[in-house]
Amino acid sequence: MQSLSPATLLVLVPLLPLAGAVLTLLLGRLLGSRAHLPAIAGIAAAAAVAVTLLLGTSNQVGSAHGPHAEPVRPVEMITTLWQWASVQDAYVPPEGSAAALPGTAVSGAGGAARAFTIPVALRLDPLTATLLAIITCIGLVVAVYSVGYMHHDPGYPRFFAVFSLFVFSMSMLVAASNFLVVYVFWEAVGACSYLLIGFWFTKPEAARAAKKAFLVNRVGDFGLAIATFLLWMTYGTLDFHDTLSPDGTILPGILGQTRLADAGGIVGGAVGTAICLCLLLAACGKSAQMPLHVWLPDAMEGPTPASALIHAATMVTAGIYLVARSAPLFMACPDALAAVSIVGATTALVAGLIATVQNDLKRVLAYSTISQLGYMFASLGTGTLLGFTAAIFHLVTHAFFKALLFLGAGSVMHSMGGVIDMRRFGGLRRIMPITAATFLVGGLALAGVAPFSGFFSKDEILATLHAKGWPNAHGEHHDAAPASHASLPLPPGEGRGEGAPATRLASLTRSPAAAPPAVLDTPETFRVLFWMSLVTAGLTAFYTFRAVFMTFTGPIRVPEEAGHHAHESPPVMALPLIILAVPSAIAGWWLFSSQWLAHFLTATPSFSAPAVTATAVPHAFHMDLAIQGTLAAAIGIVIAAIGHLGRRSDGPQMERFLGPLQTFFANRCYIDQLYAGLIVRPLEGLALLAALFDRFVIDGLVNGVARLPAALGGVVRRLQTGLLQRYALAGVMGVLAIVFVLAWRLRG
Amino acid sequence: MTSMPTALETFLLVRPEIVLVAGAIVAFLGGAFAGVRRGWLVALAAIAAALFVAGAQPASGLLAADAAGRGSIVSGSVAIDPFSTYVRFVVLGLGLILALVQAGDIFPAAVSRGAAVWRGGTCEEAGTFLLLLAGLSLVGVSDDLVLLFAGLELVSIPTYVLLALKRTDAHGQEASLKYFFLSLVASALFLYGLVCLYGIGGSTRFDAIAAGLRAGGNGVAMALLPVAIGMAMAGAAFRLAAVPMHFYAPDVYEGTSPGNAAVLSTLPKVAGVVVLLRLVGLAIPGPLGDGTAAPAAAAYTELFWQLAAVLAAVTMTVGNVMALVQTNLRRLLACSSIAHAGYLLTGIAVAAAAASVGTAGGRDAVAADASWLAGLGGATATLFYLATYALATIGIFAALAYLGHRWPEWTSGSGPRPPRQEITSVEDLDGLSGTNPVAAFAIAVFLLSLAGIPPLPGFWGKLTLATSALEVDWNAPITLGSRRAAFVALAMILVLNAAIAAAYYLRIIAAMYFRSTKRGVQADGGLAAGIAMLACLVLVGLVTLQPRGLFRTSAAAGDAVSRTPVVAAADAVPPASLTPVATIR
Repeated sequence: MQSLSPATLLVLVPLLPLAGAVLTLLLGRLLGSRAHLPAIAGIAAAAAVAVTLLLGTSNQVGSAHGPHAEPVRPVEMITTLWQWASVQDAYVPPEGSAAALPGTAVSGAGGAARAFTIPVALRLDPLTATLLAIITCIGLVVAVYSVGYMHHDPGYPRFFAVFSLFVFSMSMLVAASNFLVVYVFWEAVGACSYLLIGFWFTKPEAARAAKKAFLVNRVGDFGLAIATFLLWMTYGTLDFHDTLSPDGTILPGILGQTRLADAGGIVGGAVGTAICLCLLLAACGKSAQMPLHVWLPDAMEGPTPASALIHAATMVTAGIYLVARSAPLFMACPDALAAVSIVGATTALVAGLIATVQNDLKRVLAYSTISQLGYMFASLGTGTLLGFTAAIFHLVTHAFFKALLFLGAGSVMHSMGGVIDMRRFGGLRRIMPITAATFLVGGLALAGVAPFSGFFSKDEILATLHAKGWPNAHGEHHDAAPASHASLPLPPGEGRGEGAPATRLASLTRSPAAAPPAVLDTPETFRVLFWMSLVTAGLTAFYTFRAVFMTFTGPIRVPEEAGHHAHESPPVMALPLIILAVPSAIAGWWLFSSQWLAHFLTATPSFSAPAVTATAVPHAFHMDLAIQGTLAAAIGIVIAAIGHLGRRSDGPQMERFLGPLQTFFANRCYIDQLYAGLIVRPLEGLALLAALFDRFVIDGLVNGVARLPAALGGVVRRLQTGLLQRYALAGVMGVLAIVFVLAWRLRG
Repeated sequence: MTSMPTALETFLLVRPEIVLVAGAIVAFLGGAFAGVRRGWLVALAAIAAALFVAGAQPASGLLAADAAGRGSIVSGSVAIDPFSTYVRFVVLGLGLILALVQAGDIFPAAVSRGAAVWRGGTCEEAGTFLLLLAGLSLVGVSDDLVLLFAGLELVSIPTYVLLALKRTDAHGQEASLKYFFLSLVASALFLYGLVCLYGIGGSTRFDAIAAGLRAGGNGVAMALLPVAIGMAMAGAAFRLAAVPMHFYAPDVYEGTSPGNAAVLSTLPKVAGVVVLLRLVGLAIPGPLGDGTAAPAAAAYTELFWQLAAVLAAVTMTVGNVMALVQTNLRRLLACSSIAHAGYLLTGIAVAAAAASVGTAGGRDAVAADASWLAGLGGATATLFYLATYALATIGIFAALAYLGHRWPEWTSGSGPRPPRQEITSVEDLDGLSGTNPVAAFAIAVFLLSLAGIPPLPGFWGKLTLATSALEVDWNAPITLGSRRAAFVALAMILVLNAAIAAAYYLRIIAAMYFRSTKRGVQADGGLAAGIAMLACLVLVGLVTLQPRGLFRTSAAAGDAVSRTPVVAAADAVPPASLTPVATIR
């Protein structure tokens, strides 16, 4: 593989799963029960390539430690496959606009019309390499698991075709270097998700859930479309990267090095905020954040492996990726950034509350996913380097342990004959020990118990929120630095801080004109968010262990659907659980102690913008925060143990003391009902009105017009008598009339 | 260019037509000795030989026109220029396909002929058909009223024979008699118009008549003009099946065989278009470029375009509304062919209007090749449309001839199987996509092309027609009663008619694809008709993918007949003044 260039390898990552998908589609019937072979082979090869790329990129970035540690330079590689569309002279940048300013002045050809080109370009940088590796590796494990889980399903080839297609689309999404191409694959992963949620389309709930997911996602896609339009209007390009125009000038991409190095390159103000909020809307749709989170719990109607890969580990993190990729844009708009945090923390708390009273194991996990994604958004919204890397860190660990939990839940479901209601089974640890042990590992990681992986990533998120809420408390770690360093890229190893980071941030994310004071971006906001996140940590531990206790402890009970053969899952399903349990347990500790990931990600161009690097702080372990987080988790686990450890899960539950609140949470805070009342019903009424108007007014009009020629035809038909003499007479009379009219006109 | 012509030179110029006539003689004589079914082989061979001879003829290259557009040889009463060459190749090409359709034709014959089903392709039919082609080709090359009329009669008389030869039942007899009498009336009217033209020019030669018109202003010319234009237009209208001479079309098409309908719906239309374009060319200011139109010439073009525009609007509307209520397939296609005559007349009106201002499209003539569709002019649009229309129409009739009969509704056990029935109504095509998918697909493509659905050739044709109409007096404001307003209105009527026409075309497609039937269709027509259908399909596909070639050849032909003298004037226009308003990207 060494002989292949990185560009070729990068193309191979999406290409191999695509080939697998096409082969499965073509040969599916032929392969029958071996239909998984092309898909798994494609994904496995892609995983190998992705890991190679990850290691190669990591070597390029260099080590964080040792005597050779030097300032991190942005690392990126672009390979353009082909020009998808090109319109000459599509755009004339206005004088002095953000589109015209940086870079284009190289040749002094400012004001020249620019072409609208959509290159299908793939990029490789640390962020992309990390996500590619996660997508393909977890995809591979889940695909292997699916061989056991989907066994005997009539749609076996279809499942693997769509699954492989999803891996392709998701790889393209994170590797694309153009907002329009991102949009295309944003839709593509949505389509794959739709196909997999509605995989058992004969089930009305599945069909309904697929439709719901699709429609709710459309709202987010709408945001991405508007954001793309605005970006084009503002920057005159949709590329992430800089491109060299034929006449030798550099066209700066939106997230290219030229623009990032320039202090005024990114547009802030009203337009910038609008772009960022639209991007946030898009991210909310795909990543199931409030108010667009309603589709994810219903998406659990799909096959569990699809839930594990798409609705827990990868696709739902597309929103995180989008915001992280657009970090420089968000840095210019502090209020939009704060909005990201607020949305995230609120979602985390609300979803955590709802999860506490769910009785469907997969729904508990679904709400947990929403909650954890909220954590990531909260972390991104802090707008610090630590916040961005912590979000990606949590994304990575979460991908491992949430995939593990979902596969474990699938294993339970497989064994229980399709029953997933936790009240109907119990004490399963004696029937399925491997599932129980690995599920426990995943649960510990999710609950944030040291030293499992979730603890470290969650701790970093809490730390970054805390640093924004109490800037002075963290300032003591750093020596004060002059504010003039703002435009210099700083190595993370020698971070600096200063007395008032909030004001410092405002000075960095300057718009050229005086920036209006940030409304949301205040320490007070982040204090509230920090406490919300801490409470969420406790809730997380509680609902996780409530599920663990209800499912695996207490007297053995098996629903009748399972028959008499409730058993541990076959090795092809158990092995993926064990494989995923390892990183769920130790990845967090390793990545935290070595700081490999944080250092690696710093070389991402988006994170190497001066505005971002200026917020770098030294790596530190905050014992006080760790104790707070662990305490919250411990309280949650203890309450869960009191309520559920060793009890029959079908008895009266502890949560009943919540009274009306329980009903409120059990009904998902009535958000679905609210949407139905406020949006769905009025729209249906409007649609009915429109249909009536269409049927009676428009159709009536159209039919009336259509009847006119037919009526005329009836008249003309009368003339067509079939009598030869009449024809001749009519013809001659017509000609004579013509002659007379002509003569008359000539005279007149 | 015209040295003293000898009779031999003139004869050499019409070698292809001579080949066709010789082929006809061989067919007629050979029919007496060889088997009666080999006739179509003779026809194919003769047409192929004529094509070869025409291609080998010097100065006949379609694009060989020089900058002045006059790559022409005039000798005696024969003129070979890009226009006549285009007509000749179109005629021979269509003739090749039509010979195949004729060979595979199928029709019920009278009992006296012995067989219930008479198949086409006898030597008499082949010879007659060859004579028809020769006449049509002569119409294209004629530079003289006498040869023009003789050529037209050489088209008409074999047509009567063809009609009478084939279908000998009552319907067939009625159809051939009707066509015969009405054609005689039209020929008489046309001849009367020609006489008046002779009166204007004092000669039967076109250039003499044109000179007479340009020099005119005298009372005689002005007095003869209405009769000349009205009567000549009537004669052409009969060939085009345009109002007011359109009545015969539905009855005759219904009463004849598919192969004859294919001939009737295309070849006479070619003749009509050629006659009208030659007449339009009469009034174009002479090669001297004096540009100043004499009163008679001005009145001639003015009356000509007004009459053509009115007839176009009326014809297309009448044809389409008649077609809407038809259920008989051949009647429906006859009405559709009337409507298409209206579309063709639109282009003629544009050409006439442009001739009166001395430019091709009313817009700057030099823009013709710079952009693709703009500035092509009415003559070009007409010629292009004619070719696309003919291909699709012949294709449909070829498919009908190929399909032949359908089985009647019949269940086993209810007695003996009844005889097969001819495909006559739209309902007979129900469910064709299931029983004969290739034929159904081909018919659907042809119908969509006729309806003008992009990107099929019919769409390009309608687009150029509408564009050329909109380009008349391009820079003038649209005021009530102005010429520009008239042509904008004509373009709108054309588009509206295309929408109406889509209704009945789509009805047939819906029958083929969305209805089911228990009655099978038997493809018992000749294989030759099937080949003709596929050939049309391939040609339609080629024009769909690359319409540019047909555009350029028809542009060369159209320029030769209608544009030539203004090139010098157009060159004087500085390029900066060009306004690329209507360039289509």
